[in-house]
This record gives sequence, structure tokens and C-alpha cells, in this order.
Amino acid sequence: MLLIGSFLFLIPTFSHAAIAGQGMTSAQLLRVLGVIAAALGVVLLILVEFVWRDRFSIGGYHWLLFAGLFLLPVVAILGTTATVFEETKTVESCNSCHVMEPFVNDLKDPHSPTLAARHYRNKWIPENQCYHCHTTYGIHGTLAGKRDGFRHWLLYVTGTYQEPVQYSGSYPNENCLACHSQTSVWEEVRAHQLLKEDLTSNRVGCYTCHGPVHPAPPERTALQGGEG
Amino acid sequence: MSEPREERYTHGLSRRELLKLIGMASGMVITGPISAHGGLGSLWRRQPVVPVDEWHKGVCRFCGTGCGVMIGVKDGRIVDVKGDEYAHNKGRLCIKGILNRDILYTSDRALYPMIRHNGELKRATWDEAMELIVARFQEAIQQYGPDSVAFYGSGQLFTEESYTANKLFKAGIGTNNVEGNPRLCMASAAVGYLSVFGKDEPAGCYEDIDHADCFFITGSNTADCHPIIWERVMDRKRAHPETYLIVVDPRRTRTAKHADLHLPIYPGTDVALYNAMIHEFIRLGRIDQEMVQEYLTFRRGEETVTFEALRAHVQKYSPERVADLCGVPADLIRQAAYRFATARATMSLWTMGINQQSQGTAANRLLNAMHLLTGHFGRPGATSFSITGQPNAGGGVRDTGALAHALPNSRLVTNPEHRAEMEKLWGVPPGTINPKPGYHTIALFQAMERGDVKCVLCFCTNPGQSLPNVERYREAIRNTFFVAVDAFHPTRTTELASVVLPAAMWTEKEGVFSQSERRYHYVPKLVDPPGEARSDLEILVDFAVRMGYGDLIRARTPKEVWDEWRQISAHSPYNFAGITYERLKKERGILWPCPTEEHPGTRRRYLPGEDPMAQGNRRFDFYGRPDGRAVVWLHDQEPFQDPTDAEYPLILSTGRIYEHWHTMTITGKVPALRSVHPEWLMIHPLDAAEYGIQDGMEVIVKSRRGEQSFRAWITEEVRPGVVFTTFHSAKRLVNRTTADIVDPFSKQPEFKRCAVSVRPQEGSETAYEG
Repeated sequence: MLLIGSFLFLIPTFSHAAIAGQGMTSAQLLRVLGVIAAALGVVLLILVEFVWRDRFSIGGYHWLLFAGLFLLPVVAILGTTATVFEETKTVESCNSCHVMEPFVNDLKDPHSPTLAARHYRNKWIPENQCYHCHTTYGIHGTLAGKRDGFRHWLLYVTGTYQEPVQYSGSYPNENCLACHSQTSVWEEVRAHQLLKEDLTSNRVGCYTCHGPVHPAPPERTALQGGEG
Repeated sequence: MSEPREERYTHGLSRRELLKLIGMASGMVITGPISAHGGLGSLWRRQPVVPVDEWHKGVCRFCGTGCGVMIGVKDGRIVDVKGDEYAHNKGRLCIKGILNRDILYTSDRALYPMIRHNGELKRATWDEAMELIVARFQEAIQQYGPDSVAFYGSGQLFTEESYTANKLFKAGIGTNNVEGNPRLCMASAAVGYLSVFGKDEPAGCYEDIDHADCFFITGSNTADCHPIIWERVMDRKRAHPETYLIVVDPRRTRTAKHADLHLPIYPGTDVALYNAMIHEFIRLGRIDQEMVQEYLTFRRGEETVTFEALRAHVQKYSPERVADLCGVPADLIRQAAYRFATARATMSLWTMGINQQSQGTAANRLLNAMHLLTGHFGRPGATSFSITGQPNAGGGVRDTGALAHALPNSRLVTNPEHRAEMEKLWGVPPGTINPKPGYHTIALFQAMERGDVKCVLCFCTNPGQSLPNVERYREAIRNTFFVAVDAFHPTRTTELASVVLPAAMWTEKEGVFSQSERRYHYVPKLVDPPGEARSDLEILVDFAVRMGYGDLIRARTPKEVWDEWRQISAHSPYNFAGITYERLKKERGILWPCPTEEHPGTRRRYLPGEDPMAQGNRRFDFYGRPDGRAVVWLHDQEPFQDPTDAEYPLILSTGRIYEHWHTMTITGKVPALRSVHPEWLMIHPLDAAEYGIQDGMEVIVKSRRGEQSFRAWITEEVRPGVVFTTFHSAKRLVNRTTADIVDPFSKQPEFKRCAVSVRPQEGSETAYEG
């Protein structure tokens, strides 16, 4: 457990310091470590079970099994988890699913009027733009964001999603209000005061008046990449 | 060290149980907020805050933008409304659009018929009320002839309802006294288009906004009054910041604050301004010669003239000459003209600021002329586009011809051929339709005042508040057998009515709306009306049958009426025979002309190849005109009919705010909007100082017709010499002061300009309450 704990502490260290200088993100490093650990684990188990079994005492055999079955998989899991948690925050990660192409193409269109494109080109959100608006603040927001991402991935790989894709449920306005609600511009708009209860309960989305956030479904076809 | 077993319990909880509970609690802490809405389902996906059984496609109840909405129903009630992503508004709604969810459930819905006895409205049965109405109408017709009765409708009725009323009165009862509130709203735009192109309604569409690189917004506070059209304009500017925005408005409205160039014109001087713009187009050499030679004719009154006459005419309207009259520096006019003419594609947007003037038709004609002369017409982004105020003024009233001078599809009652065509289409004997136009709105209420009109059926509008010089006409309503059919009671009209009938509204009935861009779209019936309320169509059909016109009014359901109407349209250049109920229920509305069920609709009219009604392969076919040429009208700026003087030194103009709609019968009772009371009068600090007015003080606005108190709001958003208030408040009726002067062509009253004085109310100290 101590080993795992130490490893967890190392993640932020990697992400912010030396690795960035080498042009490699922490997620990329952890992915490499995870792959190495997974490969080592498999090789170790094969060797221990079929080649080296007789060379070790029972105690040594159990320790090696412990390493192959537990320690190295833990490293592999941490590596993949870190990959999932870090790498999936990037716009590129979202764009890796074909269904997201119209959204990302619009995001990067310098002449698009959508909220997403305006936040992107004006650098109101400097990085990980998709993730920034699609996860809420705090651990619960992260969990909800990861749950959504996992579901999307599952639907995508199983081909069980339906076009045009739709946002599920009510969008958490907290994501917008965290930046906007403290501003005098926001406070001065009477409609915001009149709908305050609706806005804080997410009954009415900010995007209702200020959208569209992304291209409307009829516009998405034109923004779809060439290859299916 | 072993411990006695009983000591391992902590208040009866074993260590194992404690660990279990800690584990469960941790799990709940982590997943709790995720599953706060929608129970376990939220562990898998986000859940909506408001649970909905079914979503239905519909259209907003309010303005002429005509936004598509998705309406959420649960247990037989509307519980949520959101923007329709597939409609032209791309999912956007303004605050009124959002609050459609509450409008059916306000506290003042009319629930049962009422008849006035000894000055008081008393509950009655439908039979009693309808029998009384029919008896009074028949008695009046018998004694005084059919022109002693009238219908006064609304741009908020469904097309099927306005069409049926028009047919019943003109082809059945035999009077052209069919009017409605669009006379107060769109008449000048309609007469403008009709006299320029030969057919009413704009040639362009909303999509033009996405292509324009210069906007000329005049007489419209689009940002507050048509917010979703405004957002589309802003989209264009956000995506292409070089897009140039010119706003002409006496006030520094929210629209004007976004302008690149704001011309703070004095109300009622638009004709001078537009003549000056044309003067500049000619001086700059920006006239499209092909248009002049091939596609335009020039008229001064009845006289046909030439382009040279126009050139001579506008000589007296140089920017310098009109600058003082308009209150706009000549430089700004020149800049506006240069930008308008030299842009790649210029789009004009206007509404009541232009229409509600005694020269509203002239201003409309000149706006169209500015586009035709510079060639900013008929290309994507280049068009002259009038915005409508109500959800169905265009389709319901203008297209069906439900006005005193009109017959369906731009036909006129004074034209014998048009009458004969409609008599044939309606299956009534030749000569049935009265060749004499009925009373236009102001004339109608004056006829009521004189006692010439005895009985009026009034549907879905509130003339007791919305007419100009209203106190005079409130008396006329009181003295007439006036039937107010409305979804709300009390209103400033039902309080005067002889009979009040409760009507269904919005999704309590089905029917077709149209909006500013000629788009017909469908509102479904989703819930039952409250109490004994009935749809306006049911009431009209019942009235027709009881009056003995059952044979004429055979189409009695919305679909039957629509099918009859679209087939009739096929005999005109409006042809929308291809817009069936089946398509309307499936598609997000269709822009007419649309002659076949396979036709996708028409974005831009008069263009061969695009407009199915246009012939040939030239640049334009103005098929509404006998010679195929659009008309450029020459107009002079006329003297003001209600001029300012020493006694009435200020100009009063009226309008709306973002949160409320018209006379507030709907929005005034919606909980989220109840705290907004537009009972102020905007006045510039210079004027306030001159008349001894402090912010928040009760002031009296007095005109030649009457007076009304308001609370002063001192602001630089209005220019010196002009005061402004809304016509929303039922308590403070600004229309006690407005003028019932009408445009000579459109008969639309001049709400945007009248002379007033403002003085502190006696005993009023500053009463500013923050």
C-alpha cells in the first residue's frame, strides 16, 4: 500500500516538472510505464509458472506471483488510469471519436459564432476546452464527467449511440456561472435576477438565451470529416 | 490484548457494522450529488431537472420571430419549454420563450362565459351567451344592415381562425368590417410591400442575416423586442467582426449600444432621412443602373415619373438640409449612406418604429427603394426585411386578407376581378362581397362611438388598452354590444365588454402560425383548456352555424380549414398548396411560395430559379406588378400632424421592454415576471432639469388628448426633447395621450410620435425606491 501511495504522490510531480520539459506529458509517461508494467507482469507470470517454477522456493515463488499478479498490474492500472484521467481531458482525445468531429471542427473554426468556438478562439479557456465545460468543479464533477466520458466511449465502441447525439439531462450552469456570475455585466442583466432560481437549479440552461453552444444538428453534417 | 466482547461495542454498534456504515457513507458522499436528480439512473447518465413524459415540437406564443420550441408535457400539463435545435432559432429562446411553460397556468384565465347585467358581468352558460350574441347581431343586421356589425381580430389567432372569420363576415354576413390589431402593428409594412412589389410580405428571409455585411436597423429595438433575430445578427458580427451595424433610433437602446454607427433621429423624420440617403447614393454614383433601366418604375402619387425626377426630388434632401430636422449630424448621414451603398450585401431590419407613423407607408416605401436603387436586393444578405410583432400577423391576417380593405392573398375588395375570384373560390353567388371597404380600425371605433356599428366580435386582443387616444374609444366600446373573446379576464377590454367568452390559447388548441420570413409552422394541441374555455375556431363555427351560415363554413376543424385555405392559395402567387398539415407536423415550418408537397419552400422571392412563381431567366421577375417592375415612390417629408409647441414641447414615443409583451395580459401574471413593472417615463437629464423633475418622481404626461401619470426615470438613453415609455402597463395607460392620427395609405395610427408636456405631479417629491 505504501508503494501505491508513493506512486500516487509522484503523478503530479511528473506532470508539472521534469516531464513537461522533455515535451512529454505525465499522462504519456504513465501510459508508457503502464504498458511496460503490464508486459513485464505477463512475461514474469509465464516465466515463473512454466520456466522458473522449479528454481525457486515456495516463498520465492509466492513473492514472484505477488509481483506478477498484483504489484505490476497495480502499476499498469495506475498508468492506464492516469492516461484515462489526464489524456481524456484533451480536445484531441474527444476528437478521436468520429462522432465528435463536427463539434471540434466548429470549435476551431475562426468564423463560427457558437459559444464553444468563441471561448476557444478568444482563449477564454486556454486548454482542454471540451473537458473544461463538460465536467463540473470538485470531485463529484470529475466523477460525473468521467462517468459521461466512459458512457460515451462505451456507446461509441459498441456502436449503440444514435445520431444526432444529444446532451443528456440538464447542463450544470455552475460551469458557466463560476466565471460569469461574479461579473457586473452578469449581475446587471435583469433577466438573470428574474431567473436566478431557475439558473441555480439548472432548470433553465444559460445556453438557452446565449447559445448555441455547438452547431445545431442540421449544421453538423456539413462539419463532419470526409472519411467515415 | 484481548478485551471482553461487550467492550468492543460502541453504543451498540460493532466494529464490522461501523466499517460497513463508513463505507456506505463514503459511497453516498461520492455518488450523492451525481444521483441527486433521477435516483439510480443518474449513476449512468445526467438526468433532467424537470421530469417530462413527452416532448412535442411547437412554436413560441409571443413575437413575430416565431421561435421553434420543444414543449415538455407530464401528467397532462406543460411542465417545461426549451428551444428547438432544429428550428431557425437553433435552440435559442428569450425569457418570454422560456416562460411559455407558465402562461397557461396563470391566475387570471377566463373560465366561463359571462354576460353583463346591470353593469356587472355574471356567469352564463355557453348557450345563453351564444343565443344572446346571435340575437343581437341578427337584430342589428336586420335593422341597420350588415355594416352595423364587425369583427375585430388579432395577429395572435391561428390562421384557420382569422381565415374563417374573414370568410364568414365578407362572404356570409356581407360586410367588410373585418379588422384587427395588425392595423396597429404591420399595416404600413403591408401597404409598403404591396405598393412596391404588387404583393405583400418580405422577399428575403432570416438566412440573409448570415450573409449580410452591413445591417441597417431602423425603428426597431431588435435586442429587446426580437431577441432571437438580434442574436442571429450578433452571430454574424461575432463571426465576422467587420460586419457594420447602423442603428437609427431616437433612443440609445440596447440595440443602438452595439451599433458601429447610431443615428439618434427625432421620431417621425424618417422620410427626410431616407431621402437624404438616396441623395447620397446618387452623389456617390452608387445607383445600380441595370435596376433603374430594367426593373424599376418611378411614381409620384398617381403620376409615373423617371429616375431623373427622383434625382431632382432628392436634391432638397441633402444631408445638411435634413440634419436639423432629423436631429442627426450630416456627417453621420453621409457615413450611413456610404456604408449602406458600398457594402457587399446590406440588409435592413425594421418594425414598429417605422410602421407606427403618420408617414409609415412612405417610410416603408423608401426603405424598399434604398435597396432597389443600390441593387442590395435579391442576393444572399441583401434585402429589405420588415419584422412582424405578433406570432401570426403575417399569415393569419395579412395573407388571409382579414382587414377591411383586403381579400385573401393581396386581393382588394375594391377590385371587381378580385371579388369575383374570391366569390368563385368561396362558392358564393357573384355580387356577394360588398365592393365598399369596411371601417379601418380607428374608423371602426369611431363608427362605434357614433352608434353606426352596433355589435362587435372581438377576438384575442385588448383594444381597451392598445388603441391610441384610448379613453375616447373605451367609451365607444362601453356603448356597443361588444363581445370580448379572450383567454384572460379581467383585462382593460373585458371590463368594458357586454359579453366575455373564455378562449383556449396556445397549446390548448392546434393551428398554424406564421412569422416574419413567410414561414408557416404548426402549434399542436397538447393539453385541455381550463374551465369551459373553447378554441376560437369552435366559437366562430358555433357563431356561424347559429347565424345560419353553416353551409358556408363547412370546414370546421383546423385541418379542414387549412386544407381549404391552402387550396385557395394555389390561385395566387402565394401558392402554398404544398404545405400540408402532415408536412407541418413533421418539418420546422416551410416558407411560402411552396406549390407542391415536394417543394422545399422559397427563401427569396422574385428570383427566377428560386421562386417557383417567377418566370423567365432574368435577374428578377416582379410578378406582382403588371409590368414586372418594382415601384420606387417619391415622397416628401410632411409637416407633423401633432406638432410640438410651447404648451406641448416634448415628443412622446412608446414601445416595449425585453421582459413583457404587449398589454401584459399574458406576461403580467407569469410569476417570474410579476416583479417587473414598466411604469416609468424615460426623460433626458436636460429636460428633467428644465421641467423640475427628479428621478423617481411622479410626473404627469399631458397631450392634446389626455394625461397620465408615470414615475420619472432620468436617463441619457433617450435624447433631449424626447420622452419614452411602454404601452405595457394596464394601470398607467399611455394611450390616453397618444394620437389617433393615421397614415393616409395604411390607416395605421401614429404611436411613435405625439406632442406632450411633462410636469411633476402635485405633492410628489422624489420617490425613488431603488
